[in-house]
Amino acid sequence: MAEHTRVYLRLAAASVRSTARRPAYLAARTVAAALIVAIEVAGVVLMLDRFGSIGGWRPPEVLLLFGLAFTAQGLALVFGDTLEADKMSELVRRGTFDQVLTRPASPLGWVVASYVDTRFLGRMLAGAATVVWAADRAGVAWTPGRAALAALAVACAAAIIFGVLLAAAGFTFVTVQGSEAVNVLIFGGQYLASYPMQIYGSPLRFMFVWVVPIGLAIYVPALGVLGRQGPPGLPGWLAWLAAPVAGAFVALGGLAWRAGIRHYVGTGS
Amino acid sequence: MRAYLALLRAGFQRQTSYRLALAAGLTTNAFFGVVRTAVFYALYQERDQVAGLDVADALTYVWVLEGLFAVVWAPWFWELAEAIRSGEFVAELLRPGDPYLRLLAFDLGRTLSVLATRTVPTLTVAALLLPLRLPETLGGLALLGAGLVLAAVVSFQLRFLFGSAAFWTPDYRSLFMLLFPVLWLTSGFVVPVDFFPGPLRALVDWSPLIPLLMAPVRVATGAAAGMAVATQVAWVVVLWLAGRLVLSLASRRLVVHGG
Repeated sequence: MAEHTRVYLRLAAASVRSTARRPAYLAARTVAAALIVAIEVAGVVLMLDRFGSIGGWRPPEVLLLFGLAFTAQGLALVFGDTLEADKMSELVRRGTFDQVLTRPASPLGWVVASYVDTRFLGRMLAGAATVVWAADRAGVAWTPGRAALAALAVACAAAIIFGVLLAAAGFTFVTVQGSEAVNVLIFGGQYLASYPMQIYGSPLRFMFVWVVPIGLAIYVPALGVLGRQGPPGLPGWLAWLAAPVAGAFVALGGLAWRAGIRHYVGTGS
Repeated sequence: MRAYLALLRAGFQRQTSYRLALAAGLTTNAFFGVVRTAVFYALYQERDQVAGLDVADALTYVWVLEGLFAVVWAPWFWELAEAIRSGEFVAELLRPGDPYLRLLAFDLGRTLSVLATRTVPTLTVAALLLPLRLPETLGGLALLGAGLVLAAVVSFQLRFLFGSAAFWTPDYRSLFMLLFPVLWLTSGFVVPVDFFPGPLRALVDWSPLIPLLMAPVRVATGAAAGMAVATQVAWVVVLWLAGRLVLSLASRRLVVHGG
């Protein structure tokens, strides 16, 4: 395994080096990925300032959720961008994945390492900057415990998004075409988790707290960071449940990926 | 004229044949629409009106946005630029008739298909379930239809200009990526431009991005509907001239290169 890790690291390094060959292009893509976060946050600030609060939360408290959700999504996409329907579909249709299967490495390790996309570091860093800025405006007194909660939120939500991407890729092996509907979970989930969960009706809340637990992973730890009480049914200690739940979710995604590979027949190209 | 109509029909049929993509698109629109609806309901819980919009206006904005999303950010956004880059576009200049009109006819066929299969159903279902503010007279509905089609025309014209960047640089995508966040905000896709601070709002109201989303929203809610359509028409004319200018400059360049 240790030997394999070295192989993956080298593949990832090669992928980063190849994009760094065109530094201006890489810089433009990274800056653009950060800008989109900045613009989205700016728009929401303009709107929330007009209203003053949403669901009892002040604008900087909401922005903390935005920051956490963007950071997690950026982290997941650095590794998992290739697993999205359009790119995975191309790997399958071109027959590239046939070759991957013949290599003496895990297909998942190969796909993830070979297509590491540092552009999403821009999204991640802009998200992290939003967290720091929002926490400052919300008057959060950082303690090691609160920092750990914020890190936990990002890690768990990123793992859940990665799990969704894995399952979607498994699905793409079977349908070849894949479905863009998965974007609802990845981009829609991030959008939804950017607002306090109590504003949603119970079906949406149930779906994103217990089924695709992005809401659980972002919202509950954020309550702890902000020192707020959760609504009934979502006590603060649930934050520590986020880690095992996220782990289980990735495991399920991995199973779906494996099932997809078992049904993989290639496209004959 | 017959040829352009045939192109329009071909574009319509081509877009309508993507059934799976349509289902995925409708799901995405419905999901984001529901989340945005919940956000606005929560925001308006303690207020009746903010920046001249009440909750019915805000919900109408949400669902017009979801309906028009695939018209403005069409999945075929880069088709023209890719054709220019690969050189296929030369064939377009050799065909009889006017290339700009031909491209418009085909693109409009596809966006009309999106309007018929995504915009209208999305808006209709939303209007049945939620208190949207939509025109109730036949004349008002006709004006809304005109506003939606004009949004589709302007979206083609802007896509044409962005795609034309490929005549001058192979890096058109990175350039657009840097510009995109600004377009995304100022077109009103993040939040309604009504929430912008005064000076920014005044500036944005004069941009060619207003016809894409905010003008149809204003036609729908009836807030200065006539003015909104007039603005759209004015931008169609301006962008028409700009598109033609770019095309004539670019064709000259293409001849030099292809010599």
